[in-house]
Amino acid sequence: MDALNNVFVNIADAIRGLFADSHSFGADLTINIIVFIMLFLIMVVAALFLSLVERKFAHWVSQRPGPNRLGPHGWFQFIADAVKMLGKEDITSANADKFLFKIAPMILVGITLMTFGVLPFGKRMVAINLDLGIFYFLAVSSVSTVALLMAGWASNNKYSLLGGLRAVAQMISYEIPLIFSLLGVVMITQTFNLSSIIEAQKTVPFIVLQPLAFVIYLISGIAETNRAPFDQVQGEQEIVAGPFTEYSGLRWGLFMLAEYGNVVATSAIAVSMFLGGWNGPEFLPGWLWFILKMWVIIFTMMWIRWTFVRMRIDHLMHFAWKILLPLSLANIFLTGIGIYIYQLLILRIGG
Amino acid sequence: MTIEGTQEYSINMGPQHPSTHGVFRMVVHLDGEVVTKVEPKIGYLHRGLEKIAESRTYAQFVPYTDRLDYLAGPHNSLGYVQAVEKLMEIELPERAEYLRVIFAELGRIASHLVMIASGSLDICGWTPWSYCFRDRERILDLFEMTAGNRMTPNYFRIGGISHDVPEEFMPALKSLLDDMPELLEEYYGIFFGNEIVQSRMKSVGILPKELAENLLITGANLRASGVQYDVRKAEPYSIYDRFEFNIPVLYGCDTYDRHLIRLFEIQESSKILRQALRDIPDGPVMAKVPKVIKPPANKIYHRVENPKGEMGWYIVSNGTTKPARVRIRTGAFVNVQMLPAIIAGWKIQDLVTIFASMDLVLGEVDK
Amino acid sequence: MVSNILRARVGELAVRVNGAVEESLGELQLTVNYTDAIEVLTGAKNFEDVPCDFLHDLCGMDLEDHLEVVYQLSSLHGPQRLRIIARVERENPVIDSATCIWKGSDFLEREAFDMFGIQFRDHPNLKRIYLWDDFEGYPMRKDYVVESYEQRAIMRVRKEGE
Repeated sequence: MDALNNVFVNIADAIRGLFADSHSFGADLTINIIVFIMLFLIMVVAALFLSLVERKFAHWVSQRPGPNRLGPHGWFQFIADAVKMLGKEDITSANADKFLFKIAPMILVGITLMTFGVLPFGKRMVAINLDLGIFYFLAVSSVSTVALLMAGWASNNKYSLLGGLRAVAQMISYEIPLIFSLLGVVMITQTFNLSSIIEAQKTVPFIVLQPLAFVIYLISGIAETNRAPFDQVQGEQEIVAGPFTEYSGLRWGLFMLAEYGNVVATSAIAVSMFLGGWNGPEFLPGWLWFILKMWVIIFTMMWIRWTFVRMRIDHLMHFAWKILLPLSLANIFLTGIGIYIYQLLILRIGG
Repeated sequence: MTIEGTQEYSINMGPQHPSTHGVFRMVVHLDGEVVTKVEPKIGYLHRGLEKIAESRTYAQFVPYTDRLDYLAGPHNSLGYVQAVEKLMEIELPERAEYLRVIFAELGRIASHLVMIASGSLDICGWTPWSYCFRDRERILDLFEMTAGNRMTPNYFRIGGISHDVPEEFMPALKSLLDDMPELLEEYYGIFFGNEIVQSRMKSVGILPKELAENLLITGANLRASGVQYDVRKAEPYSIYDRFEFNIPVLYGCDTYDRHLIRLFEIQESSKILRQALRDIPDGPVMAKVPKVIKPPANKIYHRVENPKGEMGWYIVSNGTTKPARVRIRTGAFVNVQMLPAIIAGWKIQDLVTIFASMDLVLGEVDK
Repeated sequence: MVSNILRARVGELAVRVNGAVEESLGELQLTVNYTDAIEVLTGAKNFEDVPCDFLHDLCGMDLEDHLEVVYQLSSLHGPQRLRIIARVERENPVIDSATCIWKGSDFLEREAFDMFGIQFRDHPNLKRIYLWDDFEGYPMRKDYVVESYEQRAIMRVRKEGE
């Protein structure tokens, strides 16, 4: 089991061994490039695969068969989707702000890829073992708001502008409960480093200690990735895909890539901070536990999407500012009291 | 130069839009997210049916009537053929009357299912939509098994119906009616019981009773504002006076009630269907009608309760085989006026919900 | 079935406005001149015991020498029904708008204007509703010439080498 656990680490070490000095600049650069390519592939595969899984799940919930023509039970549908998307005409509106229009999807994908860099897929399987792990993740993912606003403004379309402004309002509002809900975990572990946080959950996952924070994080995470019931950014029935209206072909594909990449990143953080990351009984390797737990969270997010209807924008803001924010503040307060009492008891009992 | 304050802008929710139910265009004037004015611009599906009617014989016009409210297939022909039969003073055999009622009520259930489904689809609730359409398929299968066509069966004729139903019809209808209470519970739980749906639809789009009467709103929209009026009880046509059913009324006047009342109407329609199924006699399905239909020169105005509102047929005959005037008063056309009157102050997302609750179908609005 | 009270009230109203009452197939019909249309409508709306307070339909009608505006009245509070026909001149069809009594006659009158060319005085927004704004002609009039098949076919012929 140890061999399986460390298979990726061993491969990385073998590649390093090919160089004269296994920690030289050349070796590090090679490993980093390989890791970067792997992360990009993970994002692309996840996006394609998840879009298909979402459709199948949606149709299972609605008692429809779902895509079932291509491949065994329709599992090759994503190949057709990808080919179709690549083959579409690249239309840019005549009066659109060309530079912003073209750069907005690139920024969004870039940011998602950057957040992938700190996700700990297994023991010692982090792309960059930052000490600022979770802080870096939250800071970088906040920039995606600007990218959506860019897309909304540059399309020269009133629907897109409305969608872009809604995106700004929604994403800024839900950043705060998101950050505060993670603060409880950070207070317990006294570190931002994601790998250390997972190590600290060897005995008990933090969902037991911070159930409220988990729920708040999940809700805010769904809001940050613009999925239903918080998807009025891409209204689809009112503002016809919001900021994404004028994009077609591969540019739109990049937006979808970023969206599903964000879903994966959000659920990976939820698994790392609350569900114990790659900890788990020994009969499966660590990174497989990580993937399974991530699947559970993604499944929950999809389930919520296909059951609930969309919320109205003022209900949404009311929910964020008047309900989630006080709850997350209360959670921090209770966590603080809990830590204080715990330390008192340990000092008492520990002698 | 500084510009202070904000500016109103206008958006065109054009003929092609994911949530207008058909080719309906409205120019929406907005102040931020709040709607200040809506100007509906209709006529994209205008086919000139009234002008066509003047150059067709009475029997040739029957297939055109199905295309008016194409979601409630056979119900539209009911008004027309009954008006012509009143002009010619034809008595129908009993079996024809019962079968007509069965098809009309099936059309009503089909139309209300689409209304609930698309109301849910407009707020991104995909699951209730597919549940409602799954059951609508069973009704469309019944139409197909009898008349060959799913949405526009073209089944009624002047003097009765075209042919008798096949043998598989009655058992299939009976199984649908047996499943109906369970299905209604399902719709209620999955759509009307959802908290987010309630928060989006309750107290949204209030249509007060006096305004509804002044705007000449008819149909389920009027009944959701507290007026208990149904043409089937007020001025019974066909054999509706033989059936026991209630008229549901709700007093909330909001979008939620307008959706909910259609669920209750499906329930009442299934009551009528059960009674019709129990009492239907055997016999001929077509009366003795002269080969050439030439009503005496007269005028008639006949009203029926369409799922979308009240449909009025004003037929003026001048003694020849072609009518002098066929006037179709459709409920959806008059109900469009509800939208500009109550929309001020709501948001764009409420505009979509209110529009869905009005239950328009562009075939009726544009004729 | 027409109740006696309704017959009596309509008779009184007809005498006041010098109109003609007919009854056929169980429906009452009152024919007046266009100048008295609003008075008749308000009078019918305020009948005692049998108010006809719901305008069910408003449509135009083209007879050879004159146009007509046909109002179908019913009621939400009883079975009474009445048809009111207002004769309008053909050359200059003008009549008062009923929007002062029922706001809902807005679209109905716009349709009558669109199809027949009947001008409704004091209408808040008298524009064409079904056809586009620059359309010429009034389609439902009997003297409107519908495009013949030959004329339509001409536009469909393709030029050589296209």
